[in-house]
Amino acid sequence: MEGTNYLTVAYLGMIAAIALWTWTVVVRSRSIEARLEAVELSIGIDASLADEIAVQSNVSAQDDATV
Amino acid sequence: MCLGIGFAGIMSTLFLGLNWAPSVSINAFESPAAQRIFYWHVPSAWAAFIAFGVLFTGSALWFFKRSPLGWRLHVAGAEASLACGLMAVWSGCVWGAAEWGTPWDWTDVRLNTFGLLTLLALFLVLGRQSQPDGVETRDTFSTFGLYGFILVPLTYVATRIWQIRHPGPVIAAGDDGGSLQSSMALVLLIGALSFTIFIIGHMMISMRITHLEQRLEQAQKSLDGGN
Repeated sequence: MEGTNYLTVAYLGMIAAIALWTWTVVVRSRSIEARLEAVELSIGIDASLADEIAVQSNVSAQDDATV
Repeated sequence: MCLGIGFAGIMSTLFLGLNWAPSVSINAFESPAAQRIFYWHVPSAWAAFIAFGVLFTGSALWFFKRSPLGWRLHVAGAEASLACGLMAVWSGCVWGAAEWGTPWDWTDVRLNTFGLLTLLALFLVLGRQSQPDGVETRDTFSTFGLYGFILVPLTYVATRIWQIRHPGPVIAAGDDGGSLQSSMALVLLIGALSFTIFIIGHMMISMRITHLEQRLEQAQKSLDGGN
């Protein structure tokens, strides 16, 4: 095998390792998200209302519009 | 942020290593093209040593102080050790195949102690995922993290004491002097810094995720009526 082929194989393997490592972090964060949704569901919180400040801001904007 | 800077640096190292760093002599190397593996191989091994240091510190903090931060360091250190260890072993095997005609030498101390360190990291990562979390489990894994660290200084001095197949040190070589040209050393330095920043970023994220997992577990237990 040519030296450049060895070089390519080595670098592709290392890039795959970096990608796999980063992927495991993504999988762990997704798992946390799913578990958080389950907790929210069990205590009756709507995930779309999690940003309380934005929700309050929208409500006050609607109130202003009706006045 | 660390992750992004580190990744950009790693990619810059790759570019500089392939396009800017000078080629090595065809008289000194069997495969001069494959020598450019060096620009990621050495920094990934360096990063692995830092990660093993974090693993050792975390293991000690958990084992002797029962520190929650220590356990999070242990988890992050084991994951980083495995990733960087695999990168160094893989690139070393490919380089060995090109340069020596064989990917591994079972008589070389440096290769085998580093291989054992990577296997230790693999055991710790897989073990933590397959075993229920508890004091006994953490103590067991921390003990491996503590005693396994003895292989780090052994790996470091291996090529100085028993140089069999793996090349000797090119940096901090002592009286022999380093054989590295300044431009090659610069690319290597950028690589080492980038890998260091990258794994610090990764370990910080990993520690935060571990903490979030623990908090969620606690919240779920409270909701289920546990303690």
